[in-house]
Amino acid sequence: MAITLASDRPTTATRLSRTRTTLSEPQSPVTPVRLDWRAMTTDEPHAAPADLVDQTEAQLDAVEDEEAALDGDDLAAADDTDDAAGETDVETDLEVAEPVDAKTVSESELRHLFEDQALPFMDQLYGAAMRMTRNPADASDLVQETFVKAFAAFRQFRQGTNLKAWLYRILTNTFINTYRKNQRNPYQGTIDELEDWQLGGAESVTQSISARSAEADAIDHLPSSAVKDALQAIPEDFRMAVYFADVEGFSYQEIADIMKTPVGTVMSRLHRGRRLLRGLLADHARETGVVPDAASTATMRGRGRGASTREAAPATTRSTRTTRKDA
Amino acid sequence: MGGCDCSKAKAELEEFLHDELRHEDATDIREHMDGCEDCLTEHRVGVVLMETVKRACRETAPDQLRAEVLNRIRAEQSTH
Repeated sequence: MAITLASDRPTTATRLSRTRTTLSEPQSPVTPVRLDWRAMTTDEPHAAPADLVDQTEAQLDAVEDEEAALDGDDLAAADDTDDAAGETDVETDLEVAEPVDAKTVSESELRHLFEDQALPFMDQLYGAAMRMTRNPADASDLVQETFVKAFAAFRQFRQGTNLKAWLYRILTNTFINTYRKNQRNPYQGTIDELEDWQLGGAESVTQSISARSAEADAIDHLPSSAVKDALQAIPEDFRMAVYFADVEGFSYQEIADIMKTPVGTVMSRLHRGRRLLRGLLADHARETGVVPDAASTATMRGRGRGASTREAAPATTRSTRTTRKDA
Repeated sequence: MGGCDCSKAKAELEEFLHDELRHEDATDIREHMDGCEDCLTEHRVGVVLMETVKRACRETAPDQLRAEVLNRIRAEQSTH
């Protein structure tokens, strides 16, 4: 068997070079392609170039169909407009290259495969679910539903492709359909359109080197509870972009797939989320006396306290970061 | 190749940190930071922020959840 890779196919985003794709653990009789990918910086045991991302994308869409059937929802219908490019040749590759897959194994073999491959992600999924739902009971329910749905769709999962991203997409869909539906969040749908000055955040460029150095030390010493509180205080889409990138180490493209949004939006959410977070953490450090006085006066200026406080901080700096979406 | 000033470096620090830059662009930033304490400090704040979030968000799923998931999956299978 072999998974063929169109090695010279251009990546979808020209500016972005990292192509991190996690392969699932090898299970007999599947033998994943092992690649010494030059740009690979992941600590995951198996990784492969971006070509597999498209395969994953196709499968994730298949899962959405499955989920839609399970839920009686039509969540899959509207959001496939952004991933049309480059999938046709992948499909033809798969017809000849697909190894023995979950479609042909028995029910019990499938379950063992699932338990071996998917369940090890439980801690990570639970961590994400905690950031989404904000409490252990709902997080547990969400993770449980995610695994049940994933298992129901597992025959459609193509062995050797990005299982972690697949699971996270199911988690995210389940969260949106189960929890967010019941929320009346006035920011939903508009948060990406807010201007920087409406969001507030750190004005780091105005600070001296020593002030920022002290800020780094202070943030480094904050207790986890303070960091989690600050994460909960920023808008959900920003929070999850930060979580997916900084905690899980997903690439921008993978986050775009999970959140079903263009890469440019991922970048914007990540940059803004991190900037808000930085402001909140520096504030917290200052208030609790972790940061030296020399830094505190500089770190205070122009800082909002999350989106709930529409502090009109001047947006004179950092705008270059959030406008660099032309990737 | 060189050609990396503070404004380019600062504009791309987030992508540098998240390992999303092309090799040549990342090299430019790295070289620039070797001689620029300002950008290096800015980068350091970014690294610390990332590590702090990573550390704070580490969770372990409750044992009960693990048991429930196994039960659900086995129950699902038996109904197929």
